[in-house]
Amino acid sequence: MDAEALRDHLVAELGDAVESEVSYGTLTATVAPDDWRRVAELARGGPDLACNFFDFLCGVDEEATGIAVVLHVYSTSHRHHLQLRTVVPRDGGHLPTVSDLWAGANWHERETAELFGIGFDGHPNLAKLLLPEEFEGHPLRKEFALLTREAKPWPGAKEPGE
Amino acid sequence: MGLVDSVELPQPIKFVFNWGRKYSLWVFNFGLACCAIEFIATSMARHDFIRLGVIPFAHGPRQADLLVVSGTLTDKMAPALQRLYQEMPEPKYVISFGSCSNCGGPYWDSYSVTKGVDQIIPVDVYVPGCPPRPEALLNGIMKLQERIGSESLRQRYTNGAERPEPIVVGADA
Repeated sequence: MDAEALRDHLVAELGDAVESEVSYGTLTATVAPDDWRRVAELARGGPDLACNFFDFLCGVDEEATGIAVVLHVYSTSHRHHLQLRTVVPRDGGHLPTVSDLWAGANWHERETAELFGIGFDGHPNLAKLLLPEEFEGHPLRKEFALLTREAKPWPGAKEPGE
Repeated sequence: MGLVDSVELPQPIKFVFNWGRKYSLWVFNFGLACCAIEFIATSMARHDFIRLGVIPFAHGPRQADLLVVSGTLTDKMAPALQRLYQEMPEPKYVISFGSCSNCGGPYWDSYSVTKGVDQIIPVDVYVPGCPPRPEALLNGIMKLQERIGSESLRQRYTNGAERPEPIVVGADA
């Protein structure tokens, strides 16, 4: 299915629960955290979606909006991509795990948990993956202060053309 | 420890000992990032550091005389590097190869990168560059060999804390 057909299919299955956007030929479907598990199961198990290939799961710090979690999966039989997105609150945000649907999500959820400080309920082993055990804080959050930069500000322009 | 640290060796024997040590440096490459590729290039036919008596690759740290840290050291990897250094037998030398291992390099503000391996282990030679060319590593090795050639092992063992100033490749150019 192409992105428009995927969107129509998701809307038919889920109704208003999904808010979708097509950009660069890929459908991004935003759902509520409560629907995260249900939509993931549909994407994995639904015969029309059959997204059996896990690409990535990651967090995005959207500041006041919260922490967005993006899941990118692909169907090897239908050859379509699907991105699922949800937004959890900054404090105590948590989602049900999808690591039993895609084994590859296991480490990605551990990484997202340690770098953004959100929980994944039902994850078999949510220990730190990349950071040292004693590390404090969630370094990919915008409010995480880089101590080196406190001492010496970034020497160049932060954006192109600045 | 033995003869070498209880007496200053007479000059001809000292010369022979140091000459033997400086031209049989078994090297252990602690490759952590892209600089390791430059190290490998240095070991291959075009640059070929075996002609300088640097022997790749030691089977493990316990068989190595020279440790080349080439790449980005993270705080999580740091204990492994420290342990590896401690496993090496004396006399041992360390070359810090590339900007990341010298000072953190482009990751100077990172939350996870150690800002210089000299925070963990003593360094004898710094090779700057990102990555440095193989010639720079060859230069660093030759500078280290010059130092080994004139070294007094007695001083090294008895004044362990007082190490000579590290060499920076290109600083005198």
